[in-house]
Amino acid sequence: MSTLAPGRERAASLTPVFVRLKLSLIRNGLKGSSKRKAAYVSSLVFALVVAFFVTLGLAMLHGNAHAGTVVVLLAAILAVGWAFMPLFFPTGDETLDPSRLVMLPLRPRPLVRALFASSLVGIGPLFTLCLAAGSAIAVARGPVGALAAVLAAPLLLLGCVALARAVATANVRLLTSRKGRDLAVLSGLLIAVGGQAANFGSQRLFQSGGLAQLEPAEAVVRWLPPATAVGMVDSASEGSYGVAAAQLAVTLAALALLLWSWERSLTKLMVSPDGSTLAVAESAASGKAERDGGFWSLMPGGRTGAAMRRTLRYAVRDPKTKSAWVTALAIGVIVPVANALQGTGSLYLACFGAGMLGIQMYNQFGQDTSAFWMVAQTISTPRDAFVELRARSYALALVTVPYTVLLTVVTAALVGNWRDFPAATGLALALLGSMLCTGALASARFPYSIPSDGAFKNVAPGQAGLAWIGIFGGMLTSALICAPVIALTIYADVADQRFLAALLLPLGAGWGVLATWAGLRLAAPTVARKLPEILVAVSKG
Amino acid sequence: MPDQGDAAGRTDGAAGADGARPAPSAVPAVRVEGLWKRFGEQVAVSGIDLELPAGQFIGLVGPNGAGKTTTLSMVTGLLRPDMGRVFVAGHDVWADPAEVKSRIGVLPEGLRLFERLSGRELLGYMGRLRGLPGEETDKRATQLLDVLDLAGSQNKLVVDYSTGMRKKIGLAAALLHNPEVLFLDEPFEGVDPVSAQTIRGVLERYTSSGATVVFSSHVMELVESLCDWVAVMAAGRIRAAGPLADVRGEAPSLQAAFLELVGARGRDSGDSLEWLGGGAAAR
Repeated sequence: MSTLAPGRERAASLTPVFVRLKLSLIRNGLKGSSKRKAAYVSSLVFALVVAFFVTLGLAMLHGNAHAGTVVVLLAAILAVGWAFMPLFFPTGDETLDPSRLVMLPLRPRPLVRALFASSLVGIGPLFTLCLAAGSAIAVARGPVGALAAVLAAPLLLLGCVALARAVATANVRLLTSRKGRDLAVLSGLLIAVGGQAANFGSQRLFQSGGLAQLEPAEAVVRWLPPATAVGMVDSASEGSYGVAAAQLAVTLAALALLLWSWERSLTKLMVSPDGSTLAVAESAASGKAERDGGFWSLMPGGRTGAAMRRTLRYAVRDPKTKSAWVTALAIGVIVPVANALQGTGSLYLACFGAGMLGIQMYNQFGQDTSAFWMVAQTISTPRDAFVELRARSYALALVTVPYTVLLTVVTAALVGNWRDFPAATGLALALLGSMLCTGALASARFPYSIPSDGAFKNVAPGQAGLAWIGIFGGMLTSALICAPVIALTIYADVADQRFLAALLLPLGAGWGVLATWAGLRLAAPTVARKLPEILVAVSKG
Repeated sequence: MPDQGDAAGRTDGAAGADGARPAPSAVPAVRVEGLWKRFGEQVAVSGIDLELPAGQFIGLVGPNGAGKTTTLSMVTGLLRPDMGRVFVAGHDVWADPAEVKSRIGVLPEGLRLFERLSGRELLGYMGRLRGLPGEETDKRATQLLDVLDLAGSQNKLVVDYSTGMRKKIGLAAALLHNPEVLFLDEPFEGVDPVSAQTIRGVLERYTSSGATVVFSSHVMELVESLCDWVAVMAAGRIRAAGPLADVRGEAPSLQAAFLELVGARGRDSGDSLEWLGGGAAAR
């Protein structure tokens, strides 16, 4: 076996090879596409500018009573970000994909070293290093503190990168499987809902006494690696050398442990067969046959029941649809409830939830992707199209109507305004009905493709205009359709007509049903007539 | 193919599969008149006239890009032609979709299925959309899943199916309502030999009862071994159509006849790759 000897010789120089490979991959990734180049350069500049100011800001915390709390928690957030980012954005780094290296004669130890070095190249690590340096400066005092800071900044970076690699490699099976790709699509949801929650959380924090509240958390986190590196600087500066030494030891031990576990899972990955070569486990074969019992048995028969069931199953199983539904449900709750909790709430904000869910009616056939052909094959009359659209709006209403009523109840209880409850509920239902109406029309007239990959691509290239026309035109029209109910609500409120206000609940609901029915009636002939055109429009994803 | 040796036993013009269907008559399964389709500058199908007899196993063959998929999409109502008319079992596809859609089953190429349903759920869904009673749908679904060797994976989501399994579940969905004419676009593409044999068995059983199968393929051996009747397509036109023996003519195989028809002469690599071969490359 003559290949082993040169393999071993080469192993010594593997690290520079991988670093060069990483640099060439970055360079080649930018070749040819000026758009990508611009995106890369602008994100690099943006990261550098942000890093500069954050570092500066952190350094200026120097001497602040809460500096330790801020930087320790920041280090922890940084580490969590590094650990989970690759799970949600797995496209990143080709040098780290073990399946690309599996045919090369490489030994685990030098390979891990080389991969580790190459993962330190990039915008992310640079940004992290800046934050780590800023954090260390913020808490370093005295010569021992300074020495600790010089050690801590690179240790934090190494800890973060090793953590990210160990987690990603341990989960590479998941990341390359269908479930992993589904997870990546859900990241948009995480950001949408997480952003709202973080915004609300930070507002609460600053209202109620500020950073001092976080100190108990900080006391725990400063013993969790790799935040221990920053904790070490703080301890050393305060003269607690024993504690600092212990924190340094924990940091180093954790780093060693992460590298060891990374090497282990990498070795295991590279010598065992992956999912594509393993025989498919037929675990589902026995017993668990799908039965239409329980909840599903309450559904009507025929096309109506079948289409409702499919719509609801897709809301749970299809990552794109699920992400849209959960975002709508969550933001629909967050907006009225958060405002109510902050004392700025209005009961009528509960209509927001109905509006958010109503948007799901838009582009119904785009949500089917090119599988719409299966539906198209079974629609031959406007009646078929009507029943199909009606079933889809039933499915939506099945979730949205109870949700809207519940949300209005909760908001009314929080705001303490039960007087306007019937009017607000009626208005929300009327709004939902008009959204279902315009949604059906937009689905028929402005269908567009929803790419199934990527969390942030919701329109196929070239169809964005179509999507905006459908959604914005539809929302404006919905407001117009709703106008009589809105006018009545305002009149009842201004003229203090209590009986009319109470009557608005059945009136609004009736108006919503009528609007939906009219929308479906108008949309159905278009759908039946334009089936091939709709199929072409939704098959571009 | 060892198990399916009774290809000769087909009964053209026999009664329908379950007695309920009228017998295929002199009306052709498919009649196409002056069919055109253009995508931008490129003409995909340029004026096809074609008549496919009922009760036969029909192959639509041609190289990649010949216009087979475009033709089948227009014939099945999935793509609107620029010009021309299509009749299935005597009914105009575009003027009378209700009559046509209940009579045909389709398995297109390159379009998705509802992949987030399990195999069984997909069949249940399609059957109900087709207007079959729930119980009948479930009964047929169970039998189709059994025959197509999918019973073990019936509760797995279609998104986790292999290519062969997807083709089989697509075929089951196309057969569920017992269509008179079945259109299959590249049904054997990327399918392993075991699944291919299963599909073949089901299709042979289906045509032997008098139904029509129209399928496209670029694998000549397959078409030759399966079909009674072939239409050869190239560059958007029909080059030849008729019973297999007529199209093959004097040529030793359909492959040879086909190459002659589409004007592709045997290309020899000559001396240019003389370094390529065993021995020198051995480790």
